[in-house]
Order: sequence, then C-alpha cells, then structure tokens
Amino acid sequence: MVQPASASLEHTVIDVLKNVSRRPIEPTMDSDLVADLGFDSLQVLELVAELEDRFDVSIPLNDVPSTRTVAQIVAQVARLVGERPTA
Amino acid sequence: MGRLRTLPDALADAARGDAGYLFAAGRADTFRSFADIRIASMRAARALREAGLRRGDLVALVIADAEAFLTMLCAASMAGVIPASLYPPALMGAGDLSRYFQLTAGILRAARARAVVTSAALVPAFDGLRPRCPSLSLVIAHEQCEAPLAEPDVLPALDDIAFVQFTSGSTSAPKGVALTHANLSANIDAINGPAGLMTGADDVGVSWLPLNHDMGLVGMALGAMYAARPCVLLPPQTFVKRPAEWLRALTRHAGTISFAPSFAYDLCVRRIKDADLEGLDLSRWRVAGCGAEPIHPPTLAAFARKFAPVGFRETSFLPSYGLAEHVLAATFAPRGRPLRIENSLVSCGTPLPGHSIRIVDAVNQPVPERRIGEILLAGPSVMLGYYHQDEPGDAIEDGWLRTGDLGYLADGELFVCGRAKDVIIAHGRKYHPQDLEWAVDDLAGVRRGRVVAFGTAGAGRADRVVMVVEPNGTVPAASLTDMVRRRIGDLFGLYVDEVAIVPSGTVGRTTSGKVQRAATRERWASLAELKAESRELRAES
Repeated sequence: MVQPASASLEHTVIDVLKNVSRRPIEPTMDSDLVADLGFDSLQVLELVAELEDRFDVSIPLNDVPSTRTVAQIVAQVARLVGERPTA
Repeated sequence: MGRLRTLPDALADAARGDAGYLFAAGRADTFRSFADIRIASMRAARALREAGLRRGDLVALVIADAEAFLTMLCAASMAGVIPASLYPPALMGAGDLSRYFQLTAGILRAARARAVVTSAALVPAFDGLRPRCPSLSLVIAHEQCEAPLAEPDVLPALDDIAFVQFTSGSTSAPKGVALTHANLSANIDAINGPAGLMTGADDVGVSWLPLNHDMGLVGMALGAMYAARPCVLLPPQTFVKRPAEWLRALTRHAGTISFAPSFAYDLCVRRIKDADLEGLDLSRWRVAGCGAEPIHPPTLAAFARKFAPVGFRETSFLPSYGLAEHVLAATFAPRGRPLRIENSLVSCGTPLPGHSIRIVDAVNQPVPERRIGEILLAGPSVMLGYYHQDEPGDAIEDGWLRTGDLGYLADGELFVCGRAKDVIIAHGRKYHPQDLEWAVDDLAGVRRGRVVAFGTAGAGRADRVVMVVEPNGTVPAASLTDMVRRRIGDLFGLYVDEVAIVPSGTVGRTTSGKVQRAATRERWASLAELKAESRELRAES
C-alpha cells in the first residue's frame, strides 16, 4: 500500500534507528541492521520496542529474525500501521 | 550450614510448602507450586525411563520455555540421567539455522548425548541430526513427557552429576562443566546462607535471566527452590525489549532478591523513561545482585540515582564474583554495605563460607595482598571437571580451580581486574574466541584457519570484539567484513566491533596448527598503530 505518509514514516524509522544505535550511523534504505549499522541482538529488541511506542503497533517477535534491512523494517511498520484499527 | 541435598531432595522439601514459580508471560501469568513442579517432574521422569533412558545417559535439554525446562531438569535427575542445557535456536539470534544445528551437533557428539528433549516443533530438526551424532538414539518432545505418576526409582546420589552446562559452543572440544548434586547444594546453600543473601521467610525472587545461564538457573530459579521461596520468572526477551518490566515485576510482587549483570542496570538507566518511574516501588528490593561480567561503578551509581526516588537503596547492590566451573558464586560483598571502590574497581567481597581463594603469580606461587595475579578457588563448589573431556586439561590442580581471571585481594576482599584467558565477555555472557573463529571459518573469502577473535577490555567496561581475518582474495574486503559481522550476529547475537582484514602471514599458527591468538593480537595492535601513524602523517602533510 503506497501512502503519502510513507516518506515521513521512513524518516521516523531512520530517526529511531539513530537513537537506538548510539553510534554515528547514517542509515539508508539498503542498510543491513547487523552488518552496516552494528546492531546486536539486544539493540534489535530495543529497536522493536521503540518502533512499537512510536507507531503504536505490536511487532511480533517471530518476524524479527527475517527483518534485515531498513527497507524491510519500513515495509513491516507500514503494513502494521495500515492494519491498525482506526480509533 | 545444613546437610547437602540432591536436586530431587531439595524439590521434595520445597514441595511441602506453598511456594513456587510464577511464570510471567505478559498477558497471562502461570503459578506452579513446587509441589506441582514435583508431580510434573515425576511424570516426566517416568516418561524418560519408559522411552528407554538409563542411569548415566546424557540428555540434552533444548527448551526455551521456562516451566518446561525446569520440569525436565528435575525429571532428568529423578530418572537418574544427566541433563545438559543447550541454547535453543530462538535465543541464538536468527537466520542461519543450519550453522546453529551444525554447532549443536558438535556439542551433542562430544557429549555423547543419548537423547535430546526439545519442543515438538524442533523434533524434526533434531531427528535430522542423528546421522551426524551416532550416540543420539532418542529425540523427545517435552510436551509428550507425561507418563502416569509414579515414585522415582533411580534417585541420584550426592556425587552423581546434577547437570552439565556447556560454556563453549562449537569447536572440536566443546566444554561442558559437570557439576555434582553436592557441588550444587554446597554453592546454593552458601548463597542462601548468612554470609550470602540470608534468604528468609519474606523473600521473593524476581528474575528475567535465561535459564541456560548459571546466574539465572542456579542463582535465581534453583536458589529459590532450595530455600523453598517464591520466584517470579520473566522471559529474557521481555526484559531486553522493555527493561521497565523487570522493575514493574519487582514492584508488583514485592520482590526482594534479583540478580543481573552490569549491562542490565545500564539498560535500565538508559532506556527507562521518567514517565515509567510512576508506580514503581523498589523499597522491598534488598539484594540487587550484580555479577557475571565486569562491574562498572558509574553504571551502578547512575542506577541508584535514577531509582532512589522510587525507593531503591544503593546499599542493596551486592557485587559478586563467580563462574560456571564453580557452580555460580565464589565471593559476595557484605550485604547492606555501600560499594567499596578502588582503582575504578568494585570489591566483590570475600569467599563463601567453606570456600577458599588464592591469588597466584605466573609460576603458581601465592602473592601478597594488593598484588595482581590469577584467581584460584577451592572448596565444595569446584566442578567435578569438564564432561567427557579426553584431555583432563589444567583447569583444576590439587583441588584449586584456575579461573583464568586476574585480580587482587585487599583486606581479604577480591577485586577482579581482567582475564588471563582469551574469553570475551559481552552482555554477561562469555564467548570463547575459538567459537567465533570457527563460526566464520567456512565463509567464502576467508582463508581457512586464519581467523583470530579477541576482546579488548577497558577497566570495568564491556569488551570490544575484534576479529582478525586473512582473506583468500575471492571476495572484496568490504563484503567480507559484512559477511563476518552478519554470521556472528546471526549465530551469537553479538556485534563485532572491528573486522580487521589483514595481509596473509599476520595470523600465526603453532606447529600443532593452532592459531597464535596473543601473537596475532600484538601484530593487529601494531598494524593499528601503523595505520594511525600514517593517518597522522597524511593529516600533517
């Protein structure tokens, strides 16, 4: 689903990535969480928690291992935001 | 101190009271009294016997679920078999399952495991390992271990092995620490005793530590069972994802005892928002144990400052030192005392009653106080040995366990300042360089057998993980760096801070074909210096 808000969603995800990383990183859509951005398993879970808070969604932990790149995270979050019941 | 007990005896004693485990699982908590656990264990023990397991067989437990893991651990003891805990794949990170199973097969083979008990979902995968593990005759789903209730008929003796804990993953000689029931009882009783936590009738444990880690299993879960006190167990991921859940559990259940590595206190400082402080009450938390990795004094100070407004007392911190080869704990700082800090190091206190400590120099001679040397331990908690290790090794000499850690004594109190061994410590877990080296050895682009891993530690700080790799020229250096990081991330959930792609000849080998880790490390350091110098030169010109 292409939403007009997707650019800001990307922006927010990158913002969260930078906050969680605590290293000087410049994530792009192609960045790999582990190889490029230096996330360890702890930080991946921290990232999940931050994204959940920021977007008010629940990210199933089962999906985490298959998520590797920033683009995949953005797609996943966009999907969950899309499925979110509108209040 | 009381008499020593086997695990089934301790469980039977605990089952006479009302206490038990509360398995906190987010939406729904499950309470199981020790009596419930005992009955479930007896049924599972019978099921293990009916499946054909016999006294002395080794059974590998690969179980992520806390209730199932603890039940099967007790059941194995009641069936007279030896349980060994192995990391389940979920905790190992992600992705690369084939390498996980290769790693696990290596352990099963070395341990000559007769059976694997795991979740039904993993049974087919472990069945697939049989051709690679000749001793493995049974793969059992823990969900199916429910035979009719019967009194156990092959109860263990104190000198039998209570469990084997694999501290090293993968290589040709995985190290399984074999602990007897006597070891276990001696350590736990000392931990719970007056010189340790002085566990009493009002105590409630709260833990998020993984049960295949000595601090989580022995310190928290079994510690509570041996003291017949309640313990709340949270899944480790719950804590890592939302550290506030740990403190909320302490609040909700009036928790009095909880242990964690230094990094956990750091996560709480960094990640718990001020808004989340509301509703917390940590005033009952009298033992905030700290161990399993170097203790960073500023971290503890920051934690105390942040949580003082919700009732946390700095004097609750209980620094400790120990290792799996010594069941768990070796020394405890005195309870209720402010941290004693010297040279940016925290005192880990004095040996447990009935246990001894000694600091020795390079030729094994005891050194005077305030002199740094290797820490040696003796007493009833020293492991039986490494399980099925063909070479006895030099871990224990004349009853003294060589810890491989460096430290000094001051007024009889231990200050740990480093490691003589090559072990890397991250997030409270030890990683053996051999395991990391092995894990990337088969990557395309890596020159076989020319990989060295080590950690570079600062005082009281977590290690920086460095891997020195000789390339075989088939893969560009940048992609090789990515591949190494990805593999280690997948397999161990660990980030490699620096991947150094070095010219061939940098990684030296001994005549017996082992990598020369120390020599390679020195070459890496001088290469790094060279690089820095050339950068400076360039900057100047």
